Amino acid sequence: MASVRKSRSESLFIRYLILGAWALFCLAPVLWFLSVGLRPRVEIITPRPIYWPTFSLDAWHMIWEDWPMAKYLRNSVLAILGSVLIDLVLAIPAAYSLSRYTYRGRDDIGFYILSTRMMAPAIVAIPIFFLFRNMGLLDTIWALMIIYAAVNLSIVTWIIRSYMLDIPKELEDAARTDGASDMRILWEIIIPAVLPGIITAAVIAMIFAINEFLFTLLIASTPDAYTMSVALANFTGGSDGVIYNAIALVAFLAFVPVFLVVVAIQKHLSRGLTMGAVKG
Amino acid sequence: MARIELSGIQKRWGNVWGVRDVDIDIGDEEFVVFLGPSGCGKTTTMRMIAGLEEPTEGEIRMDGEVMNEIDARDRDVAMVFQGYALYPNMTIYENIRFPLRMRDVPAGDHDRLIRQAADMTELTEYLDRKPSALSGGQRQRAALARAVVRQPQAFLMDEPLSNLDAKLRQAMRVQIKHIQRELKITTVYVTHDQIEAMTLADRIVIMQSGAIQQIGTPDEIYNDPANTFVAGFIGAPPMNLIKGQVDGGIFTASGITVDGLRSDMSGAVTLGVRPEDCAVTQSDANLTGEVFGVEPTGDLTYLTLKTGDAMIEVKADRSYRRELGVDEQIAFDRERLFLFDAKTGTRLR
Ligand SMILES: Nc1ncnc2c1ncn2[C@@H]1O[C@H](COP(=O)(O)OP(=O)(O)O)[C@@H](O)[C@H]1O
Ligand SMILES: [Mg+2]
Repeated sequence: MASVRKSRSESLFIRYLILGAWALFCLAPVLWFLSVGLRPRVEIITPRPIYWPTFSLDAWHMIWEDWPMAKYLRNSVLAILGSVLIDLVLAIPAAYSLSRYTYRGRDDIGFYILSTRMMAPAIVAIPIFFLFRNMGLLDTIWALMIIYAAVNLSIVTWIIRSYMLDIPKELEDAARTDGASDMRILWEIIIPAVLPGIITAAVIAMIFAINEFLFTLLIASTPDAYTMSVALANFTGGSDGVIYNAIALVAFLAFVPVFLVVVAIQKHLSRGLTMGAVKG
Repeated sequence: MARIELSGIQKRWGNVWGVRDVDIDIGDEEFVVFLGPSGCGKTTTMRMIAGLEEPTEGEIRMDGEVMNEIDARDRDVAMVFQGYALYPNMTIYENIRFPLRMRDVPAGDHDRLIRQAADMTELTEYLDRKPSALSGGQRQRAALARAVVRQPQAFLMDEPLSNLDAKLRQAMRVQIKHIQRELKITTVYVTHDQIEAMTLADRIVIMQSGAIQQIGTPDEIYNDPANTFVAGFIGAPPMNLIKGQVDGGIFTASGITVDGLRSDMSGAVTLGVRPEDCAVTQSDANLTGEVFGVEPTGDLTYLTLKTGDAMIEVKADRSYRRELGVDEQIAFDRERLFLFDAKTGTRLR
């Protein structure tokens, strides 16, 4: 009995040791960023090792005062939220149709939607540039909204669809015999039942949109449409050289809200990621 | 409230048959039970009445009006599903209210109607709960309350009690029948449980492989089965069906002799006799067999006899006890013997 208990506590200890090491490995860059971001610039580029770092808000003041960071932040938030909204408005009815009705070519349409995700974005970069130029949308957050929405639409549709497939058909049949129309069934029965899936899909789309770089760089050419991720790139060039502490601080600030949201919904998130992939 | 007629109903998906041939006229206020083994087309038939499935052939009429083209939401029927199908995000109160809202019942009447339905199904104290916080029996009653709340033209119930334990099932059976009698609403009820069918129905419709085998009152179905399928489906244990020969009014099979039958037949037949129409005897036996099993249940004893390659079930007296392997003699109640065609299984009258 005693030996069983001992080996159990031992294995528990080993488990925590491994998990702790893994967590440290993952978090170290984040902590490093924070530490770099909160130190004066000279201290960062010095070749001698520093054992007791100096705390400084230089970078903090710099990003808000020397750069239009507030504008970048606003652009990011608007473009991302707008794109997620577009995705949900389009994906929910599409997912409903794909999960509930049988019609010719349904599975092909479903696969086509998913396949848009498989393509390397660079392939369509040039056509998209001309497309937005002709529409006069270059360098606007509207273009960013549309492009983020387009990039994420497939994954959002697919995740919501997988949640909808889990809803028993009986539930809709019941609503129909109770006198509900298709729209009311979608609105009052289906959407509330797949709300965790919708939230998951929205968060995943948000994360992808925050990280989106290629298309943003293509479309945004002035601070009018710069987002946080592209603004970061601006700290590397110019007469000031590479401004490491500002880069680190902005990267950290972009990371925090995503991290908090992911922690809040992590239970749903793993399901959303696997279900979208597995359920055929 | 409504008379429901199904004529020449068939349902096919490609070459998969759901229902081959259903003809029935269900009277106003009648309680009709569709009874049959799993996969025989009961649910499909009910879904066609509800408008959730369109018949491939045939006509469905309610009060004389053809319903085939009418959408489920425009048919005034309420359905209780096998899995209850309660809306998981709504409280029981909102669940019961849903059909009232969808059918534009004036909002001022909702509360009164909901409380009335909840009272009838003894759910008043659970109205604020979500379905997930209810037991199986309570969920079942909530589904029932949602059906009764709007006083539809007809109730459709698809194996509503199959997920409940035996004791609860008996209690709910009584409750369902009581509510139906009180509201006087035409009811179609589907089950694979013959006890449910016998106890609830005004008329039973027995189905097999998508076709109706017999329609009749519980008494007719029990006392006058149309074929071996019906005979074998009703009763617990079911009727003994013994293959043998009849000639000159005498039936013979290994270990079994029955005389005094109709003398105008000869050839292979199946003799049917219910376990409750068999009696242990010392003289004038029809059957001699080896005791294979003795199962006391308290109020009576099930006796299984082996004769030739047939097993015969007998309901014996509650005090009956016997060693396995000894010989026992059985007499049949001659008034209650049934003869069936050996090949087709249809009753020979
Ligand atoms: N949507 C469907 N597509 C194809 N076959 C079906 C469908 N629904 C039911 N069936 C088939 O029809 C037959 C009858 O089914 P059902 O009415 O559900 O039987 P029951 O309710 O008596 O158990 C079964 O063989 C079933 O497999
Ligand atoms: Mg069924």
